[in-house]
Amino acid sequence: MAETSTIRSSKPSSALLSAETMAKLERMELVSRKIFRGRMKGERRSKRKGQSVEFADFKNYVSGDDLRFIDWNLFARMDRLYLKIFLEEEDLHFYTIIDDSMSMDFGDPSKFFVAKQIAASLAYIGLCRGDRVSVSSFETSASPVVIRGKSSAHRLIGHLESLTCVASACTMSDSIKRFCVKNTGKGIVVLVTDLMNKTGYEAALRMLVAREMDIFLIHLLSPEELNPAAQGDLKLVDCEDGDQREVSISAGLLNRYQQTLAAFIEQAKSFCNKRSITYVPARSDQAADVLVNEYLRSKGLVR
Amino acid sequence: MNWISALGPWQWLMILAVPPAVLSLYFLKLKRTELAVPSTLLWRKTLEDVHVNSIWQRLRKNLLLYLQLLFLALLIFACLRPGWSGQSRVGERRIYIIDNSASMQATDVSPNRLDLAKKKVRELLSDTSADDVGMVIAFSDRADVRQGFTKDRNRLFSAVESIPTTSRGTDVSEALRAAAGLANPGRSSFDNLSDIMVADAVPATVYLLSDGAFGDLGDFEMGKLKIEYIPIGETKTNNLGILSFAVQRNEDKANKLEAFARITNRGDQKVDFTASLEFDGKLLDASAGSVEAGEEAGLLFELTDTDEGQLKLTLDYEDALAVDNVAYAAIRPLKQISVLLVTPGNNALETALQTPRVQQIASVQVESPTFLTDTKYIDATLNATFDLVIFDQCSPMQMPSSNTLFIGSVPPQVASPKPIEESKEDTKIVGWKFSEPKGPIFILDVNRSNSITQFLEMGAVEIVEARTVEPGESGTVLMTSSDGPVFGIAPRGPFQDAVLGFSIVQQTNEGSARNTNWWARRSFPVFVYSVVEYLGGGVTESSSPSVQPGWPIGLMLSSRFQDYRVVAPDGKTTDLIRGDESRYTFTKTDEMGIYQVFAKAVEKPVESFCVNLFSNRESDLAVADSVKMGYEKVAATNSIVQARQETWRWILLAGLLLLVIEWVVFNRRVFI
Repeated sequence: MAETSTIRSSKPSSALLSAETMAKLERMELVSRKIFRGRMKGERRSKRKGQSVEFADFKNYVSGDDLRFIDWNLFARMDRLYLKIFLEEEDLHFYTIIDDSMSMDFGDPSKFFVAKQIAASLAYIGLCRGDRVSVSSFETSASPVVIRGKSSAHRLIGHLESLTCVASACTMSDSIKRFCVKNTGKGIVVLVTDLMNKTGYEAALRMLVAREMDIFLIHLLSPEELNPAAQGDLKLVDCEDGDQREVSISAGLLNRYQQTLAAFIEQAKSFCNKRSITYVPARSDQAADVLVNEYLRSKGLVR
Repeated sequence: MNWISALGPWQWLMILAVPPAVLSLYFLKLKRTELAVPSTLLWRKTLEDVHVNSIWQRLRKNLLLYLQLLFLALLIFACLRPGWSGQSRVGERRIYIIDNSASMQATDVSPNRLDLAKKKVRELLSDTSADDVGMVIAFSDRADVRQGFTKDRNRLFSAVESIPTTSRGTDVSEALRAAAGLANPGRSSFDNLSDIMVADAVPATVYLLSDGAFGDLGDFEMGKLKIEYIPIGETKTNNLGILSFAVQRNEDKANKLEAFARITNRGDQKVDFTASLEFDGKLLDASAGSVEAGEEAGLLFELTDTDEGQLKLTLDYEDALAVDNVAYAAIRPLKQISVLLVTPGNNALETALQTPRVQQIASVQVESPTFLTDTKYIDATLNATFDLVIFDQCSPMQMPSSNTLFIGSVPPQVASPKPIEESKEDTKIVGWKFSEPKGPIFILDVNRSNSITQFLEMGAVEIVEARTVEPGESGTVLMTSSDGPVFGIAPRGPFQDAVLGFSIVQQTNEGSARNTNWWARRSFPVFVYSVVEYLGGGVTESSSPSVQPGWPIGLMLSSRFQDYRVVAPDGKTTDLIRGDESRYTFTKTDEMGIYQVFAKAVEKPVESFCVNLFSNRESDLAVADSVKMGYEKVAATNSIVQARQETWRWILLAGLLLLVIEWVVFNRRVFI
């Protein structure tokens, strides 16, 4: 009993994305509830007017306008010069931020691995659709890897695989703050985290909300957290800050834990709902492709 | 409400330590298993309400703790045995009389008879109800009340346990008298049957645990005592015992000693045995013999060139009782009493001192009265060279440091009694009264109780003239004449002075004239021999005296030394207390073996004596079927008392164990 028992998992050896999964993902598309301005020409409608097949409006010709967009048919009928304005199609900015705190390194498979799978799946969808995909962890939020194009998928996977959980002093709000400062563009943000942050997650989410991004919060919890199987008199050690809690597990205590957990989830859900953040609860023992295929589809993130 | 403790002090300490231990188990941090978790965030929130205020919070709502403490409190309360005085009744009175005489050491029952008796008493005690009062008496040849009437069973138990083994004889009457006296407290006399009972006699049951090796109790009246005789031991037990062991000098052959032993066989079959004789710890002789069942046999050892030493006779035969297979005897040194006779000339006395009997025990030095002024005499008196000084018709200036006999003369004396002088050795005698010589007289009476005069026949003795001698308050008159006492003896410090009021021979101007015809009588040499033996402190027998264990022994020791000490066989030293007439009494004779008496200044022992169990009754290990109590015969209780096996302690332990298990289970619980 002296040695520390742990539920920390060994690193999964399976690849982040299987070929089968990738095939499925290629048919999907990221959906944003908002229309953002992109940076480059892409496949997304943009708020910007530009060149695309999608008609937007007419406007009176003023000198200096591009003659190519004059609607000659209308000129013939009305004898006045009108310009046809089309909606611009631009790329979508898709950001994935993975919580890389030590608490994510639990479960079998670990929450972090599942988080990377989710991130890889979503990013791959984005890559297939020519979106601008940015993948970062809390630690690397200031310098995210930005990838475009399906051909760069291996870079994405490679980068994700290189990410590990780190015991850093950097909190969630610090990371998000840096992220917001560095990434001025708007787009979809998918935050994969367990929200197990003692300083709170509210400030971080508020910052993202302020950036007017389309935010998805994937709240990833392991079965150990959802249904603790611990028994007896234990000294619980927090793997992040070493905080120790002595508990004598009893039925009453476990009931109280479930109540606390439910309250915690409910609180996060209601915080997100109030701020138009899509809250997606997830379990780490659930397959990532199922989550992406079925669950995120129902939540409207993918199509 | 009164309280009787059911537990001993140690047991109390243990049981009182349990509640704090239980509490501390709740308080103290357990050695908890460490478990790493992703985050204690949720646990912290869960536990917040538990850790709100204080450590007492932990005990809040802990039903198990309260139940456990309640259980313990009830348990302790029960152990206090609460009760009410007033309505309490005294149950039966039970008196346990346990034999611890020598025969109870027999090992025919396991482990031995005394331990079996103790075990049976314990069983009997366990069977009594809480109201019963009990008393424990141990007896050998005397009774020893180990515990008076009490309800406290623990004290009775410990009293029974503390009964020691002895090598003494058996006499139950004293124990029964003690039991009867304590059981029937109203009676003040046992002899006077008309004595009015001032209180009601309370009937009592006497449990007599013995092998029955005691005689009939004569007219002992049981009264309200109900006697249950519980025999201890087997009815048929083989035992070989030494009944006597003595050493004598061979009258015919000088320097030869004979050791004689008498062996008894109390078994029911003939026994062949060997006996080994050790002299000062070395094997000297061995002898084989055989004894028929119920018979006795003698053993004779001839010892040569053994001057003095210790003899130990051991029977090399395994039987139930070991203590009677060993006997001790000590050969006394041939010690000569040194006698100084100061006389101007007395043929009769000198002849009487030269008889072979006297010569065997004493060396006599004869000097004329001028010797009294010689420095040799003064040196000799100061150094206590002589055991006895006989002053015939003369008197010293100062009394010598030895016993004295004055014949026809008056010792130097102080007229008026002085207060006790500081110097130990008195140089003058005090308290004597002498008259002027008158005559003729004849002897009327002789003191038969004194060793000097006990064998004297003075009927036909004629005495021309004599002075009366009154030896004072502490003295004894040994001879009374028609005029009054003429021979007396009185102590002077550690010494004794005897004064004979008439001389044997009177020195006159015409030469010596006979004052009496005693010298021609047969009683005169007897008198001289007795004086030498008694006043010389002589030890005349070659074998040391022997007593039974526990009996007192009187020792006649030379007055030359002031202090004596006795070294017991186990090495314990006891100072001797001087009794009357320079007789020393020694009582601590429980240990069997040879005791040596040492004078303070002398390295060699001056005397020795033996303690031996020479008892036919103790050697007889057959257990009596019944004992006779006065006019009643008490048969053995053949129905052995049903032993009550105490289990409440085990149940108590089981309860405590259950408590522990419950605690563990409760704390390991998950789904309760």
